[in-house]
Amino acid sequence: MDAVKRIYRFLSSMKTGLTLLVLVGLASALGSAFLPDTFFDTLFFKLLLIFLLINMLLCTANRLIIFKSGFQIKIKRGWAKHIGGLLLHIGIVLILAGLIMNTYSGESGQIRIQTGDHVGVSNTITVKKPFSLQLDEFKMEFHEDGSPSQYYSYVTVLENDEAVERAVISVNHPLKHNGVKFYQQSYGHLIKAKHMDAAGNEVEDLINEGKFLTLQGTERLVKVYRYLPNFDPDQGMTSKTMRPDNPRIVFSVYENDKVLGVGAAEFGERVKIDDGVYVVFTGVEPFTVLKAKSDPGLPLAAGGGVVFIIGISLALLVAPARRKNMS
Amino acid sequence: MLTVLITVIIYALIIAYSLGAVLYFVGAKTEKRKLLHTARTMAVTGCILNLLAIIVRTIIAGRLPLANGCEFMLWFTWITVLLYLIYETKSQVKDAGGVVMLIVAVLSIIVAVLMRGQFGVATPLMPALKSPWLTVHVITAAAAYAGFALAAGLAVMQLIKADKRVSEESVYRVVAGGFVMLSLTIVLGAIWAEQAWGSYWTWDPKETWALVTWLIYALYLHLQRRLKWKGKTASIMVVAGFILVLFTFFGVNYLLPGLHSYAGVWVAPVMITA
Repeated sequence: MDAVKRIYRFLSSMKTGLTLLVLVGLASALGSAFLPDTFFDTLFFKLLLIFLLINMLLCTANRLIIFKSGFQIKIKRGWAKHIGGLLLHIGIVLILAGLIMNTYSGESGQIRIQTGDHVGVSNTITVKKPFSLQLDEFKMEFHEDGSPSQYYSYVTVLENDEAVERAVISVNHPLKHNGVKFYQQSYGHLIKAKHMDAAGNEVEDLINEGKFLTLQGTERLVKVYRYLPNFDPDQGMTSKTMRPDNPRIVFSVYENDKVLGVGAAEFGERVKIDDGVYVVFTGVEPFTVLKAKSDPGLPLAAGGGVVFIIGISLALLVAPARRKNMS
Repeated sequence: MLTVLITVIIYALIIAYSLGAVLYFVGAKTEKRKLLHTARTMAVTGCILNLLAIIVRTIIAGRLPLANGCEFMLWFTWITVLLYLIYETKSQVKDAGGVVMLIVAVLSIIVAVLMRGQFGVATPLMPALKSPWLTVHVITAAAAYAGFALAAGLAVMQLIKADKRVSEESVYRVVAGGFVMLSLTIVLGAIWAEQAWGSYWTWDPKETWALVTWLIYALYLHLQRRLKWKGKTASIMVVAGFILVLFTFFGVNYLLPGLHSYAGVWVAPVMITA
């Protein structure tokens, strides 16, 4: 009995809480400097946060009991400080609880969709009712200086192959459907290539950047290296801007693992690969990369954030100073 | 033309702040009221020039200047001086003026040296920054930093002069104000991050260091009020907190790049998958 009491007292004491604050601070600082990618997922750090959560929960419960018993006396003096203090701690507890809930039951993943295609969301994350997203169009807008202004994915939500919703997803404007949120995260291009062999056969291909084109009638291979929307010979492989002011396809030709040459072809330009064998890059087809996310802990964390802000404002801004020492 | 104008204004405000710092120091040492009065005039002049710099930058950028390092610093120093002047008027204590003016003078010199290239260029906003949350997130951050700068100035006075006139109560209240602002910055940033990047907390270096800063001030507020830690230790914590604030700004922007690296060159807002 005595031991239980002692453990409870240790867990719920403010000194333990403050020690944990110091530990979380030190661990975060060192973690972000030395192991930025892995540290915050380690069990050690998670345990630290769970410890802090338990401590704050008990600390707040203690305060609530004291607050209730002393309510009559204290309500006249500094009510905002007491209620605010209580609320701000409850808020942090809710935020931490939401965060932990997200760690264990939240999901996220990337969905890549080509223009005209549709992809089932359940391939990426668990959904109650299956649905898929179709990309109708991917569009980029630019500032005058050529820097990107916004990326838009025009999508249709399909349930049982039937369109139920049309939406535009852009950065800062996610789409929410059936508890899953979709964010504009990235994009890319597939390259359209037409190649002709000596016999006059024409083949059309849609190829990923960095992949090889296999051609008929030659031993040589063409590596379609990259699409540069705004090619500048001075900048080589990096595009000057993302705006398609001077689009080129950078490619290299190999024979027996040896590079024969590197080029930057314009759209429609006939590139000779071997006798009678030509490649024409005819254009690009954009695809979008969306982040799909479900986070059951989000309402808890969001509510916690609101309670926290109300609490901290009451406790530190409304509450009058305890003593006035100003001379 | 506007580039020349903003450059001149920034050099002028550096001079005003530096002169203010010197006059405050000498005035406090010699207790000459006239010097302290001129020091205050310098601070007010610098404050007006600082506001002018923000206005000219708004015209150059064609939007509220809240995106890159130079723009943030202008708000940071301006609010710091504004808060100091309010404090001085209310308390009639001019002792901390030297330290506070020194802080803003040094910060402005850093702007002039490191961020010169940003003065006259109209950098449009990248997609991730196109959000109404930008305004509130950045202004609360500048206000929080400014509060902590003032608190650090007051705490330094307590440390070197064991100054009775700068009361511990006022340091506490300034820190408390800055702490509320920092809390708002973090929460608003989290809401925005959820909207723009799809998660409200990713342990990005900026987030992590903002949290570390928040923790040290949380510790100070608890120790000061609950456990009655006063005097030297409390002052040292307030100064250490401000050093962390500066690291969160400069160190993270220049040493630990992450999602918040807006300080320097153009950064791809979305990665390109190959």
